[in-house]
Amino acid sequence: MNKELEHSFVELLEKHQNIVHKVCRLYTNNQDAHNDLFQEITIQLWKAYPKFRGDAKFSTWMYRVGLNTAITLYRKSKRSIATQGFESVSFKIKSEDYDDTEEQQLKLLYKAVHQLNDIEKALVFLYLEDKNYSEISETLGITEVNARVKMNRVKKKLKTILNP
Amino acid sequence: MDELDLLKKDWQKQESAYPKLTYNELYKMILKKSSSIVKWIFIISILEFVFWLFMAIGLKASGINKDYEGLQSDTGFIILSIISYAILAYFFYRFYMNYKTINTTDNAKTLMENILKTRRTVKQYVGFNLAVLVIGVAYMMPYALNHDESTRALIETAQANGDIFKYYLGVALVTLIALVIAIGILLLFYWLIYGLLLRSLNRNYRELKKLEV
Repeated sequence: MNKELEHSFVELLEKHQNIVHKVCRLYTNNQDAHNDLFQEITIQLWKAYPKFRGDAKFSTWMYRVGLNTAITLYRKSKRSIATQGFESVSFKIKSEDYDDTEEQQLKLLYKAVHQLNDIEKALVFLYLEDKNYSEISETLGITEVNARVKMNRVKKKLKTILNP
Repeated sequence: MDELDLLKKDWQKQESAYPKLTYNELYKMILKKSSSIVKWIFIISILEFVFWLFMAIGLKASGINKDYEGLQSDTGFIILSIISYAILAYFFYRFYMNYKTINTTDNAKTLMENILKTRRTVKQYVGFNLAVLVIGVAYMMPYALNHDESTRALIETAQANGDIFKYYLGVALVTLIALVIAIGILLLFYWLIYGLLLRSLNRNYRELKKLEV
């Protein structure tokens, strides 16, 4: 691979690295596992980059490769099954906009999301990233109707986790 | 506002809270080696191909086969060998083509299906080798019994004592048990390797499939 290609890829990755961080945030629960998954997604993105034609947005393409790596290609190391809770490694900044109840509710919500299975997490992730159902269905390879049905179930599941 | 929308609002507020890796840190990352399951499946599959190939070549080259020189020119044996090599070449081709279709930019379901297809080819290849092993042993046993000096002597003694049926039954049973143990160990080995490697992929694939029902 030539230097020019490397350069253009790393520049784009530097600009859009938040997407990778966010995938790692959802699928890992400690810093070491986060770094491992970040590394693997970066390698997979780089391997797939020569085929990236630019007809899709780089960020859209990153969502797909990032999620594919997290739910399909990545071998979970022991480190990702650590005891640390999701909220304790979150990059959350304490927001002044929230009152204590909301803060508490958010904490529980992040914890609940972490208890979902890999596919449900992917749905939630794309939803949080403001993707529409057509994009969600294309990324996961399911129909739009099924994506909606599943999302409704996830919402219900979250409600049940929060209010047992 | 439902729970997810509350979460979305918070999630989107945190854009600036993630670590920022520098150009150099990211550049170093692309030089590292992947440890994805596809890579592991590829390595293990190549080892499997090599293992069975060496088994065949090793057996041919070893002294054991000296006793079976006559068998080498046996038409049935030659036909079996040609068929098995042709099938081996076919499996190589299939495996390579499957591997080539694995593309991380496909949607999640297609990607999982392509990985599982590669796995299935390797599974069929292992099944094929086990079948060749069983057929080979079944084909060679009568030949071995008739051509080996020491076994011939044993057969003659058994014949003289009127125990020939018992003798053949004993040989058949021992061979069968040995085959079952060998196959069992191999299957356990595969089950462990692929079971661990593909556990989460299988689970996620089932979850996606479940959505379609």
